[in-house]
Amino acid sequence: MGIRVDALKCTGCMACEMACGYHRDDAFALLSSCIVAYRTREKKDYFGVILKEEESLVIARPEGVEVRKIGAAGESGGDSSAKPMLLRESCDLCSGMDAGPMCVRFCPVDAIILE
Amino acid sequence: MEYLSSGKILIVDLASSETREEELDEGLISKRIGGAGINNYLYNSYKDYDPIVLGAGILTGTLYPASDLSVLTARSPVTDNVCHCPVTLKAGIEFKYCGFDYLVVLGASAKPVFLWIHDGVADISDGSGVWGKDVWQTTDAWRRDMGDDLIQTLVIGKAGETGSDLAQVSVNYWGSGDVWGFASIFGKKRLKGIAMRGMGLLEIEDPEGFVEESMRLLESVKTGPWKGRSGLYDLLVSLGKNDVADWVAPLVHRNSASYNVPYAGNTFVYLDEDPSLLKEPQGAEPGLLLTSPYGLIAAKDMGLSAMDACRLIRSCLRYGIDPEMVALIASRDAKKRREDIESSMDSLERKGMKPWRPPFSPMVPRQPVFADFGVEGEPGQLEQWWLQRQALAYVFGIDPLFLIMSPELTAQSMIEAVRIGSGIEISEETLDGLVSEICGCN
Ligand code: SF4
Ligand code: SF4
Repeated sequence: MGIRVDALKCTGCMACEMACGYHRDDAFALLSSCIVAYRTREKKDYFGVILKEEESLVIARPEGVEVRKIGAAGESGGDSSAKPMLLRESCDLCSGMDAGPMCVRFCPVDAIILE
Repeated sequence: MEYLSSGKILIVDLASSETREEELDEGLISKRIGGAGINNYLYNSYKDYDPIVLGAGILTGTLYPASDLSVLTARSPVTDNVCHCPVTLKAGIEFKYCGFDYLVVLGASAKPVFLWIHDGVADISDGSGVWGKDVWQTTDAWRRDMGDDLIQTLVIGKAGETGSDLAQVSVNYWGSGDVWGFASIFGKKRLKGIAMRGMGLLEIEDPEGFVEESMRLLESVKTGPWKGRSGLYDLLVSLGKNDVADWVAPLVHRNSASYNVPYAGNTFVYLDEDPSLLKEPQGAEPGLLLTSPYGLIAAKDMGLSAMDACRLIRSCLRYGIDPEMVALIASRDAKKRREDIESSMDSLERKGMKPWRPPFSPMVPRQPVFADFGVEGEPGQLEQWWLQRQALAYVFGIDPLFLIMSPELTAQSMIEAVRIGSGIEISEETLDGLVSEICGCN
């Protein structure tokens, strides 16, 4: 089981990022989220979502989903949204949360699903 | 103030180059809630120093649906009224996570400066390197110099520096709801803008309760008629402007949303790349983000092609001037060519154009969009309804466009969210009195 993001449905709203931050910190914060909106190329309108899993970074962007093994060269995706991800905890599918995966619950356009 | 807040007000005196902090008192929140409510209070407290106030709503940056908003409050040089400009996209929440809920900027600096607010620290920084630069160059320079592409900015261009009352404060690169010449107040203060970056954390009194309530609200909001609609295209259609929607459609790249807003109300158009491109474009500046339908509507009325209209709006955004007013003035002066308008931006004058007097921005349509609020038909009732919905947005920190789409987001649900999230009880009488005050009804 894992989280899948449809980057073309995504509107870059960051709700998933805050929901994951809440799961981590029991407060509102973005520092510990393991799913983040990829939004550093604002003038190009190039955005998507990055998810940190146990062994990989999943980068969902308009051209498709790319899975990069952590430890491989260029693992940050060359994007400063991705760099701090390597220091964060991996997705645990919100274990312990009664409502299930918080990012799925809070995505307003159903761009994230649990597969 | 312990919950949903950093508990601090930052006061910056540009005349003396001093900054200080004040505690945000819980008593003030129970009486004036937040956003425009507290901004008005702070404005009045410092009104002899020509203040600009930036304030977050009490729900801004939470998981309450559409909680994207901060509010910029000042006395408009156009109307001489105190007005409130919405700060959306991701800038509204960046401010809340910077370590302050409110910022009051007093006086004027002798030399160009900008404010750099980050993680509870506020610096008055030398702005001479960016003074004279356009909006896009300035945001780029700050992001590059501070080494962080996620810095959010409120910034002015040349129009604000030279004191034009058509000047508009921009959010990063894009248009804001400033139709009151707030950018010229920045210019008079020699304040190029405010750069913000925050990694803060907001405690919640009852975390589970707040998140459950937000989830319940989102579920009900998600069944609303906005679902399946997106961007300026559907917004224009709902306003009966199908011709404008179809005219600009071939340039549309993607729609995007402000923080936690279910409706993707912003539309990016590509002018120098194929709009259907689904990978990173080669060019650094392929187009622009449209944050309001009204510049487009006015530009189409001038008889421009969609491409020329968007190029004109892009020039306005770079220059830091209200695109809708530019198009309306060009129509008034019978100017037809984009190039002629672009070359005359520094001499455009408002004379004879009716200013917008209500205290909230007209970037949000003055009617329900998609949803039925039961107010159609009666002009006075409609105006009152609009003012009240906007007041709620500006006080609690909720997206003002989404509040005219979603009847599910009621005043009671906001009061309840504040109670669960912060423990502060707000009575309906308090809220009604505050709404009347900031709508200018008192
Ligand atoms: S499932 Fe939970 S832990 Fe995993 S990304 Fe989503 S919110 Fe974060
Ligand atoms: S919540 Fe959904 S739409 Fe918003 S950024 Fe995450 S995936 Fe994209």
